[in-house]
Amino acid sequence: MEKAKKVEIVIDSIHLSYLLEKLQKVGVSGYSVFKDVIGMGERGMMAGDELTDVFKNSYIFTLCDEETANKVVEAIRPILKKYGGICTVSDVLWVK
Amino acid sequence: MSLDLLMQNILNPAIMMFFLGLFAAILKSPLDIPQPLPKLFSLYLLIAIGFHGGYELAKSGITGDVLKVLLLAILMAILVPIYAFFILRIKFDVYNAAAIAATYGSISAVTFITAGNFLNTLGVNYGGYMVAAMTLMESPAIVIGLILVSFFAVKSLNDDLNGNTSRLNLKEVLNESLLNPSVYILLGTLIIGFVTGEKGWKAVEPLFGNLFKGMLAFFLLDMGIVAGKRLVEVKKVGTFLIGFAVLLPVFNAFVAIGLAKIFGLSKGDALMFTVLCASASYIAVPAAMRMSIPEANPSLYVTPALAITFPFNISFGIPLYYTIINNIWG
Repeated sequence: MEKAKKVEIVIDSIHLSYLLEKLQKVGVSGYSVFKDVIGMGERGMMAGDELTDVFKNSYIFTLCDEETANKVVEAIRPILKKYGGICTVSDVLWVK
Repeated sequence: MSLDLLMQNILNPAIMMFFLGLFAAILKSPLDIPQPLPKLFSLYLLIAIGFHGGYELAKSGITGDVLKVLLLAILMAILVPIYAFFILRIKFDVYNAAAIAATYGSISAVTFITAGNFLNTLGVNYGGYMVAAMTLMESPAIVIGLILVSFFAVKSLNDDLNGNTSRLNLKEVLNESLLNPSVYILLGTLIIGFVTGEKGWKAVEPLFGNLFKGMLAFFLLDMGIVAGKRLVEVKKVGTFLIGFAVLLPVFNAFVAIGLAKIFGLSKGDALMFTVLCASASYIAVPAAMRMSIPEANPSLYVTPALAITFPFNISFGIPLYYTIINNIWG
């Protein structure tokens, strides 16, 4: 097993493609996405029952080294500040 | 408004399905339509209405009268968000006022389709070019909303992510306005319907013509559920916005009826034009506003459009507007 950083992000589905572009630009080589995530937060109830993605979240997670994780955080901080959402980084063991 | 006309509208299967969904949500029934299906129904309705409109347009041809209607449509799509914005500024900040104004400046395709259904029941025709008018009315409000923000916002709270202070990123605005799914699919199917004409329409009619009313009823069931869930938020938006969500559409309808009379639109076209001006977008514009004006609260622009204006228009508005038009046109 190898030490790695797990970056988890929850953001409005509507901004998903923009966020994924940013991740790739900073060198993230792979990620997983849950597209239809509902929940509750500072933007109110995200019930996911609209025809647009206005009230729906997406969950993204990726595993990377510490340097890339720092770049990811810096790249997405302005997005989170502008549109809302959360991002956490944790230490994990990557089974290889 | 005659009671007969009102009852005839409300006793339509599609409208009753809407209320069935609405009451399911109010009574907390676990009735639910799996998520991808409403999107499919919505696409189906847009394709059907676009295709049929294109076919009707091919039959009637693009005449001076058609261009007149299209110009009127654009005029109203620009005017409505501007005066709506100044009314909303009484209570709301620039961001929320602009986002709500854009929502009410744009149109609701489902209200339009329901009005078409209402006219069909009465045996009154409307031109296929009204679909083109609808397509043209969807986007200007988005652009006007962004222009209003860039004019009236004291300073941008959150400047563009790239550091640009201008909110009018031309590429982004055009992308939002012209390539949003409903505009794209409506315009695309309108062109396909126009180019393929009667032969094309006959080929797709079994799916997009014969099944239309049933699909509309199914879609409205879902709309009822969604609107019912949003009803709990109505109290939070305040009495000003609740009043606005009913009175602005009625005011827009009066302006539209006046313009339709002055410019000599037929009775059917006048109703469809009126419904377009009186309806509010709860699909295309909210998505664009969430992207472009993140400072605005989506509950304030989605809830009134979806939970007040839409049910009002499809149950009372359409027969009310038609009664007025019928009395004036004779």
